[in-house]
Amino acid sequence: MEDPERTKQLSPSLGRIDAGQNRARVVRLPLRSETGVAKATSKGRATSGYVVSKRSHTLWYALYLPQLEELAQSQQRQYLNKLAALMQELSSTISFHPLALICEIRSSLKYFGGVDVIHCRLGQLVTAQLAEWDLADHFLYAVSPTVTGSLLLARSGHNALVYQKDNLRSALGRLSTEVLQLKREQNRRLYNMGVRHLRDIWRLPPAGLRRRFGSDFLNQLNRALGKVPEPTRNYLPPPAFLTCYDLPYELENLDRLLPVADEIFAQLCDFLGRRDLGASQLLFSLQHEKRSCTKINIGLRQPSRSRKHLMLLLETHFSNLSIPAPVTAVKLEVTQFDAFASHSSPLSEKWGRSQFSLQGNELNETGEKIASAPIFPNDSNLNQFIEQLQARLGEHHVKSINSVAEHCPEYASQQADYLEFDTPKKRRQAVARPVALNPRPFWLLEQPLQLSIRRGRLYHRKAISIISGPERIETHWWSGTDVRRDYYVASEQNGCRLWIYREKGANRHWFLHGFFA
Amino acid sequence: MSVIRAPTGTPVPTADKAGKHTQHIDELLRGNPNLWRGCDMADQGCHGRSTGFPQLDDILPGRGWPDRGLVEIISSCWGMGELQLLIPLMRSIVEQGKWILWISPPYLLYAPALVQAGINTGQVLVVKLDTSCKDALWSMEKALQTENCGLVLAWQNWLPGKVLRRLQLAAATGDTLGVLFKHRDSKHSPSPVRIHIKGSQLQRDRFSRSEVTVIKARGNFGPLATHVDLYQQI
Repeated sequence: MEDPERTKQLSPSLGRIDAGQNRARVVRLPLRSETGVAKATSKGRATSGYVVSKRSHTLWYALYLPQLEELAQSQQRQYLNKLAALMQELSSTISFHPLALICEIRSSLKYFGGVDVIHCRLGQLVTAQLAEWDLADHFLYAVSPTVTGSLLLARSGHNALVYQKDNLRSALGRLSTEVLQLKREQNRRLYNMGVRHLRDIWRLPPAGLRRRFGSDFLNQLNRALGKVPEPTRNYLPPPAFLTCYDLPYELENLDRLLPVADEIFAQLCDFLGRRDLGASQLLFSLQHEKRSCTKINIGLRQPSRSRKHLMLLLETHFSNLSIPAPVTAVKLEVTQFDAFASHSSPLSEKWGRSQFSLQGNELNETGEKIASAPIFPNDSNLNQFIEQLQARLGEHHVKSINSVAEHCPEYASQQADYLEFDTPKKRRQAVARPVALNPRPFWLLEQPLQLSIRRGRLYHRKAISIISGPERIETHWWSGTDVRRDYYVASEQNGCRLWIYREKGANRHWFLHGFFA
Repeated sequence: MSVIRAPTGTPVPTADKAGKHTQHIDELLRGNPNLWRGCDMADQGCHGRSTGFPQLDDILPGRGWPDRGLVEIISSCWGMGELQLLIPLMRSIVEQGKWILWISPPYLLYAPALVQAGINTGQVLVVKLDTSCKDALWSMEKALQTENCGLVLAWQNWLPGKVLRRLQLAAATGDTLGVLFKHRDSKHSPSPVRIHIKGSQLQRDRFSRSEVTVIKARGNFGPLATHVDLYQQI
């Protein structure tokens, strides 16, 4: 490894193991190699190689990425997550640290054939990914038997390799106190005490240090030396569920597939139950011979792990599905997982009710008026129903309706796909919107219908007489379609109540715009 | 010696007392659960939800809309006030926290009108007009079976009796009220309530009152008609 004093600004070149060349000189480890790979990279040095001491059971590879510091916290986390996912192929335990990832490599040393190979492969993975993100493609690294030790070594930029815990103290001792990333006040105090390197700290009594710098400071050093255990937050790979079932014979009748689907869903629900997850998007595909497979996308409004509910949805999908060829295999993939939200219901319905009435009485006694807030009962039934509707009719056929504060009648009402209004808060917002005070009809024509005039009277289907009005609406002059209308409430001879208007423009035509049904 | 009571001593039934007797018999009969009285459903314990129009309540059995089942509303064209008739019902259903599903309404449902009528638009769902009849009926059946849907409105001109019976069953399971809007009355429809709305013929009313006829209602003997001012708010 490199000499600490000389290689402050060293950016490791990858693919080539520069650490190997000077390994024996700097860290002075009793390195002995048994593997061919390690020998080859160290160019036949008799002293290089590795031996794993029985006392150090782990070896941690720290990857320090100072270039991430400029990014936002959330993006840092996202990038580290992505890198951790890549590093999974080399290590099973990857922990997150600020600007750094640390993975355990002791357990995979033998498999990959040495630290150098692991470093080389990690380097390739990480630099390729960093280049993809347009970030500087160098990183700092270090290997040592403790997590914190590796991190400190990596921060210092020494790219050191320490195999044994016994050697940690001297390896860390060379580092400047900056690597501890202390607060400014603590740094100043250390400086005033004449402490420049960690080895200066080793000489100080721990009790005094604890009093002056707090226990966190001392814990960090103890962890680095492997004196106290180091809990870490490890990377958990995202859940994935994919299962296939090859049918023993081809099936044309979709109903016959249901038992198979039921079995698969049972597996899925078991999987979800163990991980306390819910599936919110599923892809069920039916495979055919020599044809592209039929895909059924099942979306759920609320993550579910109910086998019955999923079966019901699938049956609904099957009911209006036609398959081009017999089915040879089925496949289920969960494309989106979400945390499972369960509902709690009162112990018994009776008990719940008595509670309600109690509350009511209390409020009445104090003489307060009970605000009649809309009660939203358990929506899970309704959600299931709406999902079923959407599965059968198509997602864009179920609409929720909402009023908009807008003068122009055409734009004052808005229909949106149901999904967008799924929170109770939004529902209440919808109520709060102001609407016009003048009467508005239940039905609005999409295109206003021009009315005819016969013998001085307005006609739609029958003669029309005006009841009230006018209400003048002048708006949207800015959008090019100038709306200048006088609205009237009129009644047709057969009893219909109409909403009609007369244009104020040049033509002054009469139009029918709605029915007060 | 026997004492013979004078005939003057015997109680003479007066008109007043006769009245009391009939009342007494009425009460006796009413108290008898084995006796079914077709003429007034109200006393049979079937209390409906008030329509909000007293004249209409008077001619409906149970003094209001039934709690569950199918109601057919017939008007020669859409927009005769059939929705005005349902506003109080819709309001009470929304207050219960239940949802209203509109299945393929003939025109655009206009949200400001709902807000003016005091109906929370957050609890209204619309299934679009261009849905096929089969799908619309399927959705209606499912909606009627769902307890969270308090009211299902559908616009279907003609439906066979078998389908109507099926919907009726669905409404019974879900404890839901379904309303079918039609143009023409079919005589043998199994729906428990059929209502016809006509524009009033009375010229002096300037069409403000509509003629509402209860063609059929379970518990009524024959068609009853009344005049209701449907457009009270306008």
